[in-house]
Amino acid sequence: AMELPPSHFPAARAAAVAMGYLRYLRGGPGRGLQLRELRSARRQDIDDVGHKYYLELELEDVLDKDRTVNCTAEVLYPLGSQSSAPDVQLTVQGELRSTEEADKEFYTRIRSLEKELVAENIPDSHGNIPPELEPIHLLAWAASGYVIWQNSTENTKFHLAQVKHVKQVKRSDEDLQFDYVVLLHEMVSQEVLPWQVTLLWHPQRGARVSQCQGPAPGD
Amino acid sequence: PANMKLLLIFSALLGASLCLETFVGHQVLRIKTKNEEEVKQLQLLESLEHLELDFWINPSAPALPVDVRIPAASVQSVKAFLESQGIEYSILIEDLQDVLDKERQDMARSAQRQRGTGFDFGAYHTLDDINEELDHLASEYSFVEKIQIGESYEKRPLYVLKFSTGGSQRPAIWLDAGIHSREWVTQASALWIANKIASDYGTDDSITSLLDKMDLFLLPVANPDGFVYTHTTNRMWRKTRSKIPGSVCVGVDPNRNWDAGFGGPGASNNPCSESYHGPSANSEVEVKSVVDFIKNHGNFKAFLTLHSYSQLLMYPYGYKCTRPDDYAELESLGRAAANSIRSLYGTTFQVGTICKTIYQASGGSIDWSYDNGIKYSFAFELRDTGRYGFLLPASQILPAAKETWLGLQRIMEHVRDKSS
Repeated sequence: AMELPPSHFPAARAAAVAMGYLRYLRGGPGRGLQLRELRSARRQDIDDVGHKYYLELELEDVLDKDRTVNCTAEVLYPLGSQSSAPDVQLTVQGELRSTEEADKEFYTRIRSLEKELVAENIPDSHGNIPPELEPIHLLAWAASGYVIWQNSTENTKFHLAQVKHVKQVKRSDEDLQFDYVVLLHEMVSQEVLPWQVTLLWHPQRGARVSQCQGPAPGD
Repeated sequence: PANMKLLLIFSALLGASLCLETFVGHQVLRIKTKNEEEVKQLQLLESLEHLELDFWINPSAPALPVDVRIPAASVQSVKAFLESQGIEYSILIEDLQDVLDKERQDMARSAQRQRGTGFDFGAYHTLDDINEELDHLASEYSFVEKIQIGESYEKRPLYVLKFSTGGSQRPAIWLDAGIHSREWVTQASALWIANKIASDYGTDDSITSLLDKMDLFLLPVANPDGFVYTHTTNRMWRKTRSKIPGSVCVGVDPNRNWDAGFGGPGASNNPCSESYHGPSANSEVEVKSVVDFIKNHGNFKAFLTLHSYSQLLMYPYGYKCTRPDDYAELESLGRAAANSIRSLYGTTFQVGTICKTIYQASGGSIDWSYDNGIKYSFAFELRDTGRYGFLLPASQILPAAKETWLGLQRIMEHVRDKSS
């Protein structure tokens, strides 16, 4: 395995995949994990399998920037097949800040809404996010984290550019459901494209993507 | 009534800002009752709580008008009711939210005027407002001049601020922003930097010694057509707005259009692509105008360009992955500039060639300037690293501008020392 400079793009792209996966796994309305620093990176080319990146990440929660948490990740981009998602293994060292109270409060607030929540353009053109919509924005990070993880290759680097539209859908079970249209910015091609993602969330069960659709051809 | 209305608007504003209540689609009607019977009908309406009607003037006597705010969802049914009863009404306010938004803006502007602070560098502005501020700077400082170096595709002037304290054809520094129109923090930062340099000349040693030896040319909005488009139509627009023969798609990536490895890897030949290089090098008038200006001047020593986002400080090359001849000096200067940036708020910028740091990309501006003899060619990618991306909150404009300025200054000081 060869050492990679963290400032060079191959390591940065692998880190973005790890972050997408992590946000999907551990993100929620009260937690927004962000990469503070990519400490180190190595790459191993495995014959007939693919390229595997070993990463050391320093993470922070945007809602609690005084602390950082370390994380190691392995990102394996499979050879050849462009339609197969990278395999990600990660280990967070130590505890992430508990979001139990914030989660419960958000859950109760949304469940008690008379009309289903609808919002658009988060953030707006000027970068504003009304405080009440920040949890919705963070859930969009979880939703787009899934899309980013599933659709990344060594030649892409995705970020959530904006939540174009979000609509809550009331359910008869205990999950919250949000139908998102998210704009993803792909750094290499510079395209900004819409993805439709349906996200389910529950305080104990966490986030799950139940449906996901990419841009139509010619978009 | 006038005071009441003001009070109600105020509490609506307060409510809107505190609780995210909006008044989109709410209408205010003025109802003219003709007789007691009609007054009673309105009082009946008033009692229907589910309509959530908000009477600004309650129905009391036939001679007095009744003003009522109606939530969007109830507008049609209330109007239908009034019409079916033959009760006359007129629309005082079509959409209350519009009124509130304008009020908020007016209040902010008048507060600003009262403070005597003029242009708000910590906010995003329209092209017209930016051009107005360029005029203001040029009129306020004798060594600042606004010149036009060309026109955009849609015929908007390309305005450059020239900072010159004298001499004739002094060695010069080029700085541009906004070549990719959606990167709003760059145009905003360029304005702040222009004001900083203008206002601190004479008191700041570094700026004073810089402008005593060199001229600075600053193009704050390198892609005005795209910029206007981000305000009016699509906040995520990147390219120019030129029509492309034979395609339904519009626009060329102005940072793939320079004559440096043009058409090579890292640029697309598909007009619908965000990185479309265009039909030929310098096909975009926005690019050609700068090229001609710099060539005709003949004495530029540095070419600096602002982009966002990613927090990177890069030097050539982008079109090829080999190191430039001046690699050691540029790497060292880049690191020093990144350290200066970090010294203010701890913001870290990665340093390196374009090709290694971000991607291989042909037809870029700093590759052109470097290959044309302008050694100190750097491209900055400003805040942030993806949390807000292009939609950086306005509250971060000033911090971004200030830290970026420290990096630029570090480079400019080096250029000044090497050019004398």
